[in-house]
Amino acid sequence: MTDTSTTVLRPTGRINMVAAPALKILIEETVASGRTRIVVDLGEVSFIDSSGLGALISGLKTARQAGGDLRLAAVPEQVLTVLRLTNLDRVLPAHDTVADASHDW
Amino acid sequence: MTGEYLLEGLAVPESLNLLHDLLERVGHDHPDLRADDLMLFETAVIEVAGNVVEHGQPPGGVTWAFHLTVLPDRLEARLSDSGEEYPGGTWGTEMPGDPLQEDGRGLALATAVLDRLDYLREDDANHWTMLRRRG
Repeated sequence: MTDTSTTVLRPTGRINMVAAPALKILIEETVASGRTRIVVDLGEVSFIDSSGLGALISGLKTARQAGGDLRLAAVPEQVLTVLRLTNLDRVLPAHDTVADASHDW
Repeated sequence: MTGEYLLEGLAVPESLNLLHDLLERVGHDHPDLRADDLMLFETAVIEVAGNVVEHGQPPGGVTWAFHLTVLPDRLEARLSDSGEEYPGGTWGTEMPGDPLQEDGRGLALATAVLDRLDYLREDDANHWTMLRRRG
């Protein structure tokens, strides 16, 4: 079960230079509305590039500055590989499911 | 099985999706191509192309040609663009030390998944050559 204080964002498709700015803004707006515990469900994402990673890091910092956090769930293979190669798996660990990511904030 | 692909157009963010579509077609045309090889090659191509979109001068006025060859032992591509000379050659090919830095990973990521990434300024154009050996 998902904690009711958790907000789940579900981007789809490719998070590249076209889509990353919108994801960054969505996270900023979510935090600004007072919802600072964010899980990004990547289950329907097929690809991420470095601009998409930048949007997630920006979101992580925004959420933490507001006293919350940002976590990743259902991370597909390409995203896992890119997180590992950029050493970002240390700051953005991958959780298997949204439920796994949504407790012990 | 071998094959050649060409895509020409403007170096703008929307064109990145055309490159993704082309690489998806490569996968359909070459069922013998390992999914992880294609996935990592696509990652590199999008990073190198994204770098041209982001830094190409003048912004929005750069055209490019992407030429991909599928060979039995490797994937090889060349991205040529009409922009001004890229300022730092292969500047940016090392991963930033600060994990919370938001940018600067593109070429480092491409370098990590390729066996070769070369930059050449020739005939008033920038040429990026990308090579990945097939597993």
